[in-house]
Amino acid sequence: MTNHWNDFKNADVILVMGGNPAENHPVAMKWIMRAREKGAKLIVVDPRFTRTASKADIYAPLRSGTDIAFLGGMIRYILDNKLYFRDYVTNYTNATYLVNPDFKGPGELEGLFSGYDDATRKYDKKTWSFQMDEAGLPKKDPKLRDTNSVFQLMKRHYSRYTLERVSSITGTPKEKLEEVYKTFASTGAPGRAGTELYAMGWTQHTVGTQNIRAMSIIQLLLGNMGIAGGGINALRGESNVQGSTDHGLLFHLLPGYLPMPTASVTDLKAYIEKYTPKTKDPKSVNWWGNRGKYITSYMKAIYGDSATKDNDFAYAWLPKPDEGMNASWLMLFDKMSKGGFEGFFAWGQNPACSGANAGKVRKGLSTLRWMVNVNLFDNETGSFWRGPGMNPADVKTEVFMLPAAASVEKEGSITNSARLAQWRYKAAEPVGQARPDSEIMDELHSRVMALYRKDGGKFPAPITKLTWNYRRDDGKPGVDIHKVAKEINGYYLADVFDTKATPPKQLGKKGELCAAFPHLQADGTTSCGNWIYCQSYTQKEGKVINMMARRNAADPTGLGLHSGWAWCWPVNRRILYNRASVDPNGKPWDEKRKVIAWNATKIPPGADKPGAWEGDVPDGPAPPLADEKAGKYPFIMRADGMGAIFGPGLADGPFPEHYEPLESPLAENPMGGRQRMNPAAKMFYKEGGVGTDDIFANADPKFPLVATTYRVSEHWQTGVLTRHLPWQMEMMPQQFIEISRELAREKHIQSGDRVNVYSARGKVWAVAMVTERLKPFNIKGATVHQIGLPWCYGWQSPDDGSGGDSTNLLTPTIGDANTLIPETKAFMANIEKA
Amino acid sequence: MADQKNARVIRKANAFEILNHWVMAISFFTLSATGFAYLFHIAGVVSFFGGPMGMKTVHNYAGLVFAASLILTIFSYLIEALSFSGDDMKWLMKGGGYLSRNAAVPPQGKLNAGQKLVYLMVLAAGAAIAVSGLYLWLAPEVKSRTLSMHFLHNAAFDVYLMIVPFHIYLASIASPGSLRIMINGTVPLEWARKRHAKWAARMT
Amino acid sequence: MGRKSLLVSPELCIGCRGCQTACKEWNQLPGSKTENRGSFENPPELTATTFNRVRYVEVASSSGDPRWLFVSQRCMHCGDAACMNICPSTGAINRTADGAITVDKTKCIECKLCASACPFGTPKFDAQNKLSKCGMCADRTASGLPPACAKTCPTGALRYGEREELIALAKKAGYAKIYGENDLGGLGTLYAFRDEPKLYGMDEKPAMPESLIFWQNVLKPLSYLGLGGALALSLVHLVAVGPKKDEPKNDEPKKDEEVNKNG
Repeated sequence: MTNHWNDFKNADVILVMGGNPAENHPVAMKWIMRAREKGAKLIVVDPRFTRTASKADIYAPLRSGTDIAFLGGMIRYILDNKLYFRDYVTNYTNATYLVNPDFKGPGELEGLFSGYDDATRKYDKKTWSFQMDEAGLPKKDPKLRDTNSVFQLMKRHYSRYTLERVSSITGTPKEKLEEVYKTFASTGAPGRAGTELYAMGWTQHTVGTQNIRAMSIIQLLLGNMGIAGGGINALRGESNVQGSTDHGLLFHLLPGYLPMPTASVTDLKAYIEKYTPKTKDPKSVNWWGNRGKYITSYMKAIYGDSATKDNDFAYAWLPKPDEGMNASWLMLFDKMSKGGFEGFFAWGQNPACSGANAGKVRKGLSTLRWMVNVNLFDNETGSFWRGPGMNPADVKTEVFMLPAAASVEKEGSITNSARLAQWRYKAAEPVGQARPDSEIMDELHSRVMALYRKDGGKFPAPITKLTWNYRRDDGKPGVDIHKVAKEINGYYLADVFDTKATPPKQLGKKGELCAAFPHLQADGTTSCGNWIYCQSYTQKEGKVINMMARRNAADPTGLGLHSGWAWCWPVNRRILYNRASVDPNGKPWDEKRKVIAWNATKIPPGADKPGAWEGDVPDGPAPPLADEKAGKYPFIMRADGMGAIFGPGLADGPFPEHYEPLESPLAENPMGGRQRMNPAAKMFYKEGGVGTDDIFANADPKFPLVATTYRVSEHWQTGVLTRHLPWQMEMMPQQFIEISRELAREKHIQSGDRVNVYSARGKVWAVAMVTERLKPFNIKGATVHQIGLPWCYGWQSPDDGSGGDSTNLLTPTIGDANTLIPETKAFMANIEKA
Repeated sequence: MADQKNARVIRKANAFEILNHWVMAISFFTLSATGFAYLFHIAGVVSFFGGPMGMKTVHNYAGLVFAASLILTIFSYLIEALSFSGDDMKWLMKGGGYLSRNAAVPPQGKLNAGQKLVYLMVLAAGAAIAVSGLYLWLAPEVKSRTLSMHFLHNAAFDVYLMIVPFHIYLASIASPGSLRIMINGTVPLEWARKRHAKWAARMT
Repeated sequence: MGRKSLLVSPELCIGCRGCQTACKEWNQLPGSKTENRGSFENPPELTATTFNRVRYVEVASSSGDPRWLFVSQRCMHCGDAACMNICPSTGAINRTADGAITVDKTKCIECKLCASACPFGTPKFDAQNKLSKCGMCADRTASGLPPACAKTCPTGALRYGEREELIALAKKAGYAKIYGENDLGGLGTLYAFRDEPKLYGMDEKPAMPESLIFWQNVLKPLSYLGLGGALALSLVHLVAVGPKKDEPKNDEPKKDEEVNKNG
């Protein structure tokens, strides 16, 4: 998230859409309720009236998968009523930029942006570009009037999202839409703050990335980015999922969001050339311009002395996927279902229940020769061979169970949604043979190394040359996790100097831990396992400090920054893009909620001339934008330094456009045009495909109900951790389905009845929960029913089968056009009384 | 029936009646003591009976003994107690002659009218206390009834507490010569003629 | 130190049920096998192993949105506690210095009278038939810690503290009626209600059963008053009238005469 949990209390309006914090992030509600106590309004937009909605000042229902229509209507409302924060928009966003005149939007091109190729389902983004002047800088119209300006293009694009049209798509009553728009748009006034909280309700769609983009546009228009009580805040679904993403969980990223090189990028120079964005604008910080320092320091961290200038810092040893190869979740399991893998480590996960189209996943598992299940408990994945529809005699997969220690049984850091890395201590010994993940990995490494030593290998260096010195010094078995944390932070490998200063100023002493990432070097004199974590475990005047273990709860600003509590990346900055919280002169837009402020007379320590920032750690020490010589733009991670209202980087369009989910009740896109669903989403199968697991049924009378899935407070993800806890099972014992009174009447179902739920792919049973909290939608004049099911159950536990089975047996194999995150939040189904 | 050995005494209670009376008396005192301890949380009594559960056992089983004893009295006294005559009414009007030392009262049967009334009250309250006690012991789950049973148990106990002292007093200090009935079962003939003239007449 | 209480604010409750789990964890209570009955609410009632639970009350509305009220339920820790009044066993149900009603299972005699007396249906009995209910975490509060449920509550829907301060706090927050402020000697579990208690599934005016009040005020005192009265009357008779004797014996004339004279 751009802001942080405690910061919710600073908001005037909180929009919860695509998330359900009361149920999935209950502690977040503490800060939301604080805000409400001070008069803030809570808006909840959700197909279901959730536990969060029960606390809302405004609740607006919408049909699953129509968020962009909803938000597009809000953009139109803000523009039509001139509720945007003009100074912010003109100074800090690319609204003023002029776009290539050949660019066309879906209003002009039958629902597509210019450059679409039907055969590849891809866009040629040539026309999604800015007009450049002679100096190589984008042409601008600060008055926002040019017909090719981003602002005018946006206005044209969203003029199609009228209240009537949005209401007929989303099913949200018009007056509700207006109420939400009016309330949230009120934060466009300087001195008002609005924040947005989302989770999987936004990401798990074929248009997931664009859902968030739409909100980014709104937040930039209203000047809510970078301010206290503002931002766009992803409530991460697991306590450490932020940490795992930071440290290279995804197939296309190395730690610290450095791109994973592809096969065609053959040397480090080419890597840096390809992945380092450039700008000719002196006012742009373009922080990614430092890419070379970070990748080199990373190579030094993982290969140590073996990475030298002479061997290109061992760049050749990095694994490099083929060009265009995609190794994300859906692709892996698609390949697995075709027999593409011999072995599989299911480490801390339960794909047999969590994977979209779980029936396909389960069949895929049976093609494996071996599988290692690392988990606290056996689960539906480890026991897939004896699951429903499986004949154990036919399954050849050999399954190994490695019991892992729980989070409280080991020491280490955990990074929450607020990018806050907190050090945790071991509270209890692991149970039985369970061991921390780090130790399992360490032993795996030592055994693989032993095999290489004994048998040799074709290309052993990438493995054998790894720096791997994490064993404890006291001779006891196990891993010293502090050594890992220090490697992540990085070291000065030589005395490092700032050579720009005269005389050169010493930044760090050889052998000491790095102070912060501005000290990292591209010449191999520093190492850093993850540049954004540089400063997390540091050294001050020789003294080693684990910043993540800090526990100072002081809050001098009253904004809840708590800068002395643990440590957050980058460099302990609690609110990202905080330079946008001040005007070009460095004066806060909102004096009540001062995140940072420029003090022109204060002389910072170690400097010789006056001028310093006060408050949170600013996005760079440079003076405010108005400073002729040294002023900088606020959005330092973007090459042009501007907030992107026009976003040409995405696969499916520079402006978010409403597309129907893969499965919806509508045969056509109500926005018009020929494109019903996201044109750039990868199709795993053709419409109406038969004889495979990859079928779907759009606008099919056999599956007339819009379905969505979700979690409940009482269970954790697929429930592997909670279904073994009698306390949790007592509260939420069984798979249930929420249905409206109207649908129940139609289907002759009473609350508590057992019903069967079908999709084109599978069937589960569930206990009917007939409720006031779901209401039928009026979609384009027709009644459309919405149903909802949690996905926290599985056949393996409770072992009498009384819990039910995963609702991912119903969901389709389809993902977001940019990230391939599966679309499990909107699909079509039907129900019958069992 | 006149006593064979001594013509001057007649038998008013047989061995069974005497035994049963004392069984009842002892169980009653046990129940009262434990009952009071329940009502007023008298810790000393609780520990005397072996703690809360011990005392509960004592109270419940003493209650069973009491109930059995009460049932057995029916054979001894009920018919007599129900035979009410005009003399009995007059006896009652004169307060049984207890209100002054020389009052003359109408002739009475084996039980005087007061004794008949006391017995009927003992029987009724005893039945109530036994039934409610058993209910509270065995079936306290039905809540609304439990509360009325608890009420009844206590109300009946109150009745006992009010009549038993009189009974003891009247049958001992206030009426010398009565006590021996519950010891050897006999009374002097003269004593009987004065107090239970009709019975004495029948017996001689 | 005054009486302490728990203030339950359904308007702040998000129904996450952290309280339910925290209670079981602290009090080492097992989970029971339940089934979904078409509602989030489970277990269906307080049990000997469920000292607190959240009730989910759905309120339909013909116009506009439904309401979904979350009402945390547990022993009310009455100021005038029917269970304590009726309990026959010395020291089985006790009141702590803070005002919490606690149970000493070793002294419970399994009579279940408390269950019939309690106006809220709180008392439940474990497998050994011993009273088993919320004791406001007296083992925590004695050390200055809040009860487990209040400690774990993320939103402040459960607050533990000085009773008067909590009432003042709730009133300041604009809650017109503090449920339990005065009823039954003041409840130890207070509720800050926006609307009528009935909407939250609570009795408008909780009271002790009338027969219990009569028992408490009449029958119970009557047991010693009656006994004493009967003894006193006997004594009066003895003194005033004296024993009824057939023929004064020789060794007693003086006394008889005296009685006569006095009579």
